[in-house]
Amino acid sequence: MLDELRNACRPGMVGGFLPGVKQIANVAALPGIVGKSVGLPDVHSGYGFAIGNMAAFDIDNPESIVSPGGVGFDINCGVRLLRTNLFEQDVLPVKEQLAQGLFDHIPVGVGSKGIIPMNAKDLEEALEMGMDWSLREGYIWAEDKEHCEEYGRMLNADPSKVSMRAKKRGLPQLGTLGAGNHYAEIQVVDEIYDKWAACKMGIEEKGQICVMIHSGSRGFGHQVATDALVQMEKAMKRDNIETNDRQLACARINSPEGQDYLKSMAAAANFAWVNRSSMTFLSRQAFAKQFLVTPDDLDMHVIYDVSHNIAKVEEHIVDGKPKKLLVHRKGSTRAFPPHHPLIPVDYQLTGQPVLIGGTMGTCSYVLTGTEHGMLETFGSTCHGAGRALSRAKSRRNLDYQDVLRKLEYLGISIRVASPKLVMEEAPESYKNVTDVVNTCHAAGISKKCIKLRPIAVIKG
Amino acid sequence: MAEEFTEDELTLPPCKYEYLDHTADVQLHAWGDSLKEAFQQCGIAMFGYMTELDSVEIKQSSEIEAIGHDLESLLFHFLDELLFLFSCEPFLICSKVTITEFVTEGEEMRIKCKCYGEEFRIGKHPQGTEVKAITYSAMQIVNIPEKNTFELFVIIDI
Repeated sequence: MLDELRNACRPGMVGGFLPGVKQIANVAALPGIVGKSVGLPDVHSGYGFAIGNMAAFDIDNPESIVSPGGVGFDINCGVRLLRTNLFEQDVLPVKEQLAQGLFDHIPVGVGSKGIIPMNAKDLEEALEMGMDWSLREGYIWAEDKEHCEEYGRMLNADPSKVSMRAKKRGLPQLGTLGAGNHYAEIQVVDEIYDKWAACKMGIEEKGQICVMIHSGSRGFGHQVATDALVQMEKAMKRDNIETNDRQLACARINSPEGQDYLKSMAAAANFAWVNRSSMTFLSRQAFAKQFLVTPDDLDMHVIYDVSHNIAKVEEHIVDGKPKKLLVHRKGSTRAFPPHHPLIPVDYQLTGQPVLIGGTMGTCSYVLTGTEHGMLETFGSTCHGAGRALSRAKSRRNLDYQDVLRKLEYLGISIRVASPKLVMEEAPESYKNVTDVVNTCHAAGISKKCIKLRPIAVIKG
Repeated sequence: MAEEFTEDELTLPPCKYEYLDHTADVQLHAWGDSLKEAFQQCGIAMFGYMTELDSVEIKQSSEIEAIGHDLESLLFHFLDELLFLFSCEPFLICSKVTITEFVTEGEEMRIKCKCYGEEFRIGKHPQGTEVKAITYSAMQIVNIPEKNTFELFVIIDI
């Protein structure tokens, strides 16, 4: 983060980009913002908004805006965690086969196509229904929905607001993992900080096996965001919205462009849930085939599913009064405290589980939301490690073989579609996720609950 | 039916692009002896991030059209069209793009471009990194005909 700032302040720079800190400041100057523009501990430079940036806007203020840059291109990119009743000793002997099984089941990487049969009509329905579609088609269990933000379906989704282009890009990619930092991992419970809360999530003791899936809305969401940015550029001129940075394309929440974006964003969010649900189905199949028992018998329930690129209408207390806000979370995870009406019954007493994905080879965490976070950050916390090195720098400085050897030494099986990605996504390229999580814990915006350690990684 | 190509069409242009540092994404830097060439190079640079271009044979071609109200939006839409060509039918990965019409004057700027390559096939083409979107973020177009300098900087979201 400081390196970014230092680079950007170097005189005579050509080609550079805005550092994250300046981006947070630019967001703070947007019309209708309530409270602070928050940078979370994993912050780094993004598009318009920084990544790891949270900002809330007052819906009742006619000046307030919605910005696709505050959501990101990968709409409803998020993390899902499945538990199993297996333990490390059950999996270790067949770890390689299981990793291969997952890799064979889940389409990964550039140019991969989904294997769940879909036509244009199915897509329309999926966009409108989200995980209700997955449930109807028999890909998920009814309980899965309970353990998802918004129950896996944003009700204001309107597929008719989505361009044909986005649908065309989305159709072949439904049920694919993607590339970049997306992954599916087999993880082991390494540490339990809060035994009681962990129990509520079905995590009994150390050594238990979980599966984590990190993916988003694929080309569909990317195109929805791109289309909205083009629309909003025009709206900004018309409505005389001035921002400090051309990249902060936005529109008034109540303008046609603002409303259209929120409806198509919701459709993209539903796409992402269906996508993660399809991969949940494929993961369950891969496990069932390996162990020759049903996913039911393996107790492969969804612990929780979080979105870390999304904008949502939420009620928060501002200056002692309840207010309806549009909360943008870009690279930031919702972390609601115990007793919040929007979290499922099972987690009413513990607070919402917050899933923090690590990077290839590093740990991941489950946190819980806190009352303090509700006040300080509108119930938001970090989303992952956040990059430290640029991709190009990683490719230059790291050696492919070294990274693989190190992973092997750590006991991690890896299946990657693209060798270049191994360097780009190496743990050295990221901030230390443990530091990030500890900072959030110390700041009181979320509480540590479980630490997970990967034993197999599947990536694009 | 296989398309036929002339010798000229099958000849690949020299590489005039590079990838620059950016924390989360990649910045494409392309140049050329004309703005048109820089645009073509920029397109190839994007495909080069998705796979190894020497694995791509020229077997089919597609035509795209992009319009913009200024050079920035023209470049944005040009790259967006190329990305679209790859993302769904015909899933074309290109090793060569030739701009056949390049209008950069007046209200509406326009590009027509012929794109050469083949359908992306896992197994034949090494999987590089997926490009999510083109961005206006820190986009720079250096267009100084007097000095014969034509350079483009674009950040692609990956």
